[in-house]
Amino acid sequence: MRQPFPTAGERARPIEDYGLLGDTRTAALAASNGAIDWLCVPRFDGQPVFGRLIGGPAAGTFRMGPTGAATVIARRYRPHTATLETTWDTPGGRLTLTEGMIADVTGWLLPSTLLVRRLTAAEGPVDAVIEFDPRLGEHHTSPRIEHRGDVVVCSWSTTALALRASPPLHLDAGRAVTVRVMPDRPVTLALSVADREPLIYVDPDAAWVALEADEHGWQAWCADIDGDLPHRDAVARSLLTLRLLTYSPSGAPVAAPTTSLPEDPGGIRNWDYRYAWPRDASIGIGAFLGVGKHAEARHFLAWLLHASRLDRPRLPVLLTLHGRHPTAERELDGWPGYADSRPVRVGNGAADQHQLDGYGWVLDAAWLLTRAGHRLDAETWRAMRGFADQVAKRWRHPDAGIWEIRGDGAHHVHSKLMAWLALDRALRIASTRRTPARQVAGWQAERDAIAADITAAGFNPELGSYTRSYGSNDLDAAVLVLPLLDLEPRDSPRVRATIEAVRHQLSAGGPLLYRYPPGRDGLPGTEGAFLPCSFWLVQALATTGRVDEATRLFDDLLDLVNPLGLLPEEINPTTHGYLGNYPQALTHAALVQAALAIRDARNDRFSPGPDEIPVREPDSYERTSPS
Amino acid sequence: MDWAGWALFGLVATAALTAVMIMAQLAGLTRLDLPLLLGTIVTEDPDRARVAGFFLHLVIGQGFALGYALSFSLLDRATWWLGGLLGLLHVAVSLTIFVPLLAGVHPRMASHRAGRSSTAVLEPPGLGGLNYGGQTPVVTIAAHLTYGIALGVLLQVH
Repeated sequence: MRQPFPTAGERARPIEDYGLLGDTRTAALAASNGAIDWLCVPRFDGQPVFGRLIGGPAAGTFRMGPTGAATVIARRYRPHTATLETTWDTPGGRLTLTEGMIADVTGWLLPSTLLVRRLTAAEGPVDAVIEFDPRLGEHHTSPRIEHRGDVVVCSWSTTALALRASPPLHLDAGRAVTVRVMPDRPVTLALSVADREPLIYVDPDAAWVALEADEHGWQAWCADIDGDLPHRDAVARSLLTLRLLTYSPSGAPVAAPTTSLPEDPGGIRNWDYRYAWPRDASIGIGAFLGVGKHAEARHFLAWLLHASRLDRPRLPVLLTLHGRHPTAERELDGWPGYADSRPVRVGNGAADQHQLDGYGWVLDAAWLLTRAGHRLDAETWRAMRGFADQVAKRWRHPDAGIWEIRGDGAHHVHSKLMAWLALDRALRIASTRRTPARQVAGWQAERDAIAADITAAGFNPELGSYTRSYGSNDLDAAVLVLPLLDLEPRDSPRVRATIEAVRHQLSAGGPLLYRYPPGRDGLPGTEGAFLPCSFWLVQALATTGRVDEATRLFDDLLDLVNPLGLLPEEINPTTHGYLGNYPQALTHAALVQAALAIRDARNDRFSPGPDEIPVREPDSYERTSPS
Repeated sequence: MDWAGWALFGLVATAALTAVMIMAQLAGLTRLDLPLLLGTIVTEDPDRARVAGFFLHLVIGQGFALGYALSFSLLDRATWWLGGLLGLLHVAVSLTIFVPLLAGVHPRMASHRAGRSSTAVLEPPGLGGLNYGGQTPVVTIAAHLTYGIALGVLLQVH
């Protein structure tokens, strides 16, 4: 991989140029020029201290890299870790930046957020630049800067940063410093973050040791992943990314660590994804269960139950990391946006929508856990029954659908399919435990009514496919879930025809799919191919016995992944440039599920019915919900 | 010191406090579930934890009632407003000191520093229990006022 070192005048780095650094509480995006252009503290949804990615130069950055012309000759994560390595070829020699954050700080006198960066030279001394320019929040507030011994302290009212170097350097905030890195003498920097607590000054060499210890932790975590997965390394990277995007203090899966990376560069399709969607948590449950990581799967369900407690029996569309309603969506004045994509938004207006499909994902996840032998405690089952009752009551109403279309609701076929799934899975769980007969009968009646409704109104004989909504001629890639549902036999002509119709009519070229006909959502502009849909197609093909096709498609999709194994929500079908918030949990979860579908198809094992539940001693949750 | 009153009315006041908390939880005002929170100190099974936590809560409530009864005895009077004032003091200390500290001692509660290997699983309540919903401090204050006023009234009558 050879990339020209970007010039100072370059406006926007490609999204795929960024790597993810994280500690399961917050995350940073680091570019191949050594610049951290995005970091919110103290959590994923906190205020940015480095926001250049979407806020421009005034929003701050933290760069460590070569001073002059250089070429990136290698960029990778250290195997099965979250530590990123970038190596440049420079006139003086090779320079390597190794960087990461410490995930496990419990039991140590370390700050909650600790970023460690080390420059190492080879083949000769290399001049490097260190540009440390933190700005806080919406107004890019400059810090109060103090030098306390060899520590640079930048403070705002309740937030503070401490930067320390080994060997000691005269660093300053807001001013680039040039250092000569000698081959036998690496330069290590440790950045501590404090929010409403005292700063902890960390010796950079001790921070480096902590980072190496943390790497062993990630390697052990990855070692637990099942070994029989196709493309195991890519799957493991996706799982590791999903774990990095899970906020450990509450267990919330954040959809992406960024806001307003555009689906349409220069356009208005810029959304804040620093929230947790119950849908993502549910898909994550399936992904983690499938690879043998049961604890993570149970934690997601526990978060989901805890977080949704205040809204039950309604299932909220999205929540903050601590299970609150997001603040009202608003636009940040004066933020230039990534590649002039404005507005930059914080908050998410989809929070107030009615989305029927969420119930299906959640109840399916509960069923997967039950099938895997994990007993649902009484409170969990009570919540699930409430969700099922809610579906039985509301499935006839229009909704905003999985794509969160703003404006009037519609009778989305995918939503109805997921409503059917919700009641079907509730019935399956009910068959494993005592449930009031009247409630079960009600679910059965409504499930059958949904099935009749979908098959009558959701299928367009002229198109030969299930459609996006009742009476519509548009297709929707989300209906690729059809063969996973058992609503119809997997080899039925309708199921096969729908897969083919979606595959061809929503094709964006190669392995890519649009989620629906581009631009048909009431918003100006257009968008790219929606990556999770392509992975759902892999799943649909594998589930319907077309394993070779599924495998080829999966291989083609993996060819589009950047060298770091990270994926966004969307991709430009022509240039294959990344679009949308990044990295995206839903895409990575869909990748894992596609790999699982291929594995299961090869092993010929697909979802057993209620009679095939494995006998296992019930256990309880490691994570329990205080709700 | 009214030992009989303490023994009986401590239970009554704790039951009243628990009832307020459970009603608030059912009404969707808070996610705070005291029996579960306490019970998971001794078991990870949520169903058993709620039972264990209920009895633990009764014991703890009885302990606090001793402090109320002693205060009334020292002040040589028990009134509803004095009980309410003690309830406010009690809840202020609970929300600002006890609840945030819980994450440091509860074996199954995560802290805001929890990471990849954390086996602690309950979400930390945060300052004032705000992580369990914005209304949590209000509900908790109401519950402790109920507790204090109940003790003030009942010990006065007794």
